Amino acid sequence: MGDGSPTADGHTRILIVDDERMNRALLEAALSHGGYAWTSAEDGLAAWDILDAAPTDFAAILLDQNMPRMTGLQLLARIRADERLTHLPVVMQTAYASPDDIVEGITAGVSYYLAKPLNIKLLMTVVAQAVRDHDLLCRLLGDIDRQTAAFTLLDSAVFRFRTPDEANMLAVALARSSPCSRNLVVGLSEVFTNAVEHGNLAIGHDEKTRLLNEQRWSEEIARRLALPEYAERWVTVEVQRQTDEIRFTVRDQGAGFDWNKYLTFDPGRVFSYHGRGIAMARKLYFDDLSYRGCGNEVVCTVRAAGGLPLPPGEAAVRQQADDTHDDMVTASAMQVGLLPTAANLAEIEAQTGWRISSLYRPFATVSGDIWGLEPLGEHRLAIHLADFSSHGMAAALHGFHLHTLIKSMGEDRDQPAAFLARLNQRMAGFLPVGHYCAMIYGVLDLRESRFTYAAAAAMRPVGADLDGRRVWSGDGKGLPVGILPATTYVERQIPLPPGAMLFLFSDGLPEARQSDGKPIGCSGVSASVGAALKAGGEIDAASLVGAILTRAGECPHLRDDLTAICCRRAAE
Amino acid sequence: MRDQLTFADRAAMDTVISQALANGIKAVSVNLERLDYMDSAGLGMLLTLRERAGKSGAQIRLVKPQGDVKELLSLACFDTLFPIEN
Repeated sequence: MGDGSPTADGHTRILIVDDERMNRALLEAALSHGGYAWTSAEDGLAAWDILDAAPTDFAAILLDQNMPRMTGLQLLARIRADERLTHLPVVMQTAYASPDDIVEGITAGVSYYLAKPLNIKLLMTVVAQAVRDHDLLCRLLGDIDRQTAAFTLLDSAVFRFRTPDEANMLAVALARSSPCSRNLVVGLSEVFTNAVEHGNLAIGHDEKTRLLNEQRWSEEIARRLALPEYAERWVTVEVQRQTDEIRFTVRDQGAGFDWNKYLTFDPGRVFSYHGRGIAMARKLYFDDLSYRGCGNEVVCTVRAAGGLPLPPGEAAVRQQADDTHDDMVTASAMQVGLLPTAANLAEIEAQTGWRISSLYRPFATVSGDIWGLEPLGEHRLAIHLADFSSHGMAAALHGFHLHTLIKSMGEDRDQPAAFLARLNQRMAGFLPVGHYCAMIYGVLDLRESRFTYAAAAAMRPVGADLDGRRVWSGDGKGLPVGILPATTYVERQIPLPPGAMLFLFSDGLPEARQSDGKPIGCSGVSASVGAALKAGGEIDAASLVGAILTRAGECPHLRDDLTAICCRRAAE
Repeated sequence: MRDQLTFADRAAMDTVISQALANGIKAVSVNLERLDYMDSAGLGMLLTLRERAGKSGAQIRLVKPQGDVKELLSLACFDTLFPIEN
């Protein structure tokens, strides 16, 4: 379980449920960016424990469909069966769903569908909509509880209203006329609001999409309500109770609409995040819903048992897969997913005795840097850091390839020069001319107290006493990886006695510009590492980079991807 | 060349080398004396240049690299790929 905000005061909290770490990271980043607090669970069962312990903490759930232990739909069934959670909006993410699947999902209580791969902008629109649903529903249900039961005595009556607020107020009051008021309020609110927005104020489906996207929906409603042509338009509601049913006849003064296509879940709109409210209301909250004439009159009927005991659902979303920005954000999350996690590092520390920390900062959305670790028995740890010459997506793709190659190469892991030569041979086979990578591959050895490595135009590794008294450097010289297939590399060593650490970095660090416009340089990095260690404080990659950049001036100008790795003994 | 050789210069570099090779030149000297900065993309361009020249039977020489540029060429062992004149 992850948690996006230890102090959630004032933040709307969303529950993320996804078994893929990378997907969770993507959703967490997007929600944090949107100002939401979040809690993450890795499957349905873990999510249920969280919801059961704190049912009122969340305004919506982002739920993955396919997960081990408990699927999204299984969790959904539990949520809907629990009266504390039954109205919580659920946004289901799915890689594939047929229109039939979606109708089934919505009937089971899915509020919104999001197609995978996720479009971040659309995700945020849907989350905002789900949170609005939740807020409105909390308000409506709270109002219902305060409402007098006198309306259960209502026989027949006529009401009229103009605004969405009045629509909701009336929905609450009239819902009390039925024993199933908690479901009926949602359906009536939908139908009444529809009569104002689409009927009297003549806002079409496409226009609503645009206004929601531009976050101008409420503003436009208010503007139109004040215009002379709409000022005298009312919605009337006629209520009639008969022995076994209550009938609500709702009339607006608009021009009507082609209601036929809104009565069922149109396959063309299954992923639209609005425009299905009528079909939803018809299916979930009323026993019958039928339009008359041109469409400005609708009759909703609730039989004695009331509607189905199901939550408000509303809409779903069509994926606009051509949004490059989203692709890049996804690629970035995938790339970060390749790097060792905090849990991996803790495991490696326990296994090898080496404590590793890192800082990974892409210059753009994706990075041309990549690094990784591979424990070699009890006291040795193989480590690599590569920096591709090209930029953006091409460099990131090369990084993925390198990562896969390294994982697949079992031989010579403890012989850096031989390993790097073999890796180079394979990389040279497919990297385009002009593309290459600067790289260091080496083995940290706790017993031998040294780092044995091979370098291919890498930044020279820096060793230092933890108290900063001595700083020493290795040599990064070597032909970059991927240029000539038959390249040999030199095997070098740098001593790492007890009480010392190793600092590896990509060229983004020495190439960062100081306040005088000059690059920090490798000697500047070494000097700053020594000074930072002498000054005391935390000894990890992020702290050292922070100290180096701070020493370089107030606001060093980074020109490239930056990766830094700090390696030290666990016990020190 | 002077000042900087970076990713931004690849189009200009391409034009110059295309013209040189189209004129049947067999020996191209790239004077780096006044170049004081080159990034990894700059090195990549030199590699592209080498490849294209090789296909036309021409040779590229790097002349008088200075300071950081010289250091970068040395770090990347480019003396194994190009004749470098100091």
